Amino acid sequence: MDKIIISAVILLGSFFILVAAIGILRFGDLNGRLHATTKATSFGILLLLVGVSLYFNLFTVYVKALLIIVFIYLTAPLAAHSIAKTFSGNKDPSENQDENT
Amino acid sequence: MTGTIPDIVLYTAFAFLMVSMILTLIRLLKGPSVNDRIAAMDLISSIIMGIILVYALLIQNAIYFDVPVIISLISFIGTIAVSTYLKQKNG
Repeated sequence: MDKIIISAVILLGSFFILVAAIGILRFGDLNGRLHATTKATSFGILLLLVGVSLYFNLFTVYVKALLIIVFIYLTAPLAAHSIAKTFSGNKDPSENQDENT
Repeated sequence: MTGTIPDIVLYTAFAFLMVSMILTLIRLLKGPSVNDRIAAMDLISSIIMGIILVYALLIQNAIYFDVPVIISLISFIGTIAVSTYLKQKNG
């Protein structure tokens, strides 16, 4: 039963990272790409960390996993905000709404 | 240690992560602006974290868990550094 849960969590985590990669390739502008990468990647890494730490089942591994999760959820929005704020081109979002496919 | 995970699960996870690495590298090579390339670089660091986690599961060694801590710290610093440089360059 443990193995099934851990396998499902790890497959889901890597699938979310794959979704983020497809998003960064397919979206039309920078804001869409940041939207895809920030949230899906954070959730995928969270699922992978939960799965691996459930597999090892040690105290230090749980502490390190908690550290990584807290740090990623603190810094991923900050990094995306910092990237989007320095974007010089495409200042007016109403110009090319048709390209946001 | 609670039994071993089936190999097919780990190899499928590796396949997902490798395909996402290839897609992100395509965006890194052809991204129109520098900001796209920074976003792709940020995603690549996260993919490498995932690969190392699955690899630690494959060889059953918990010492590899230290590596994602360092990668998550360094990738944030790198992203902020390049963004600050671009902000100062653009005025």
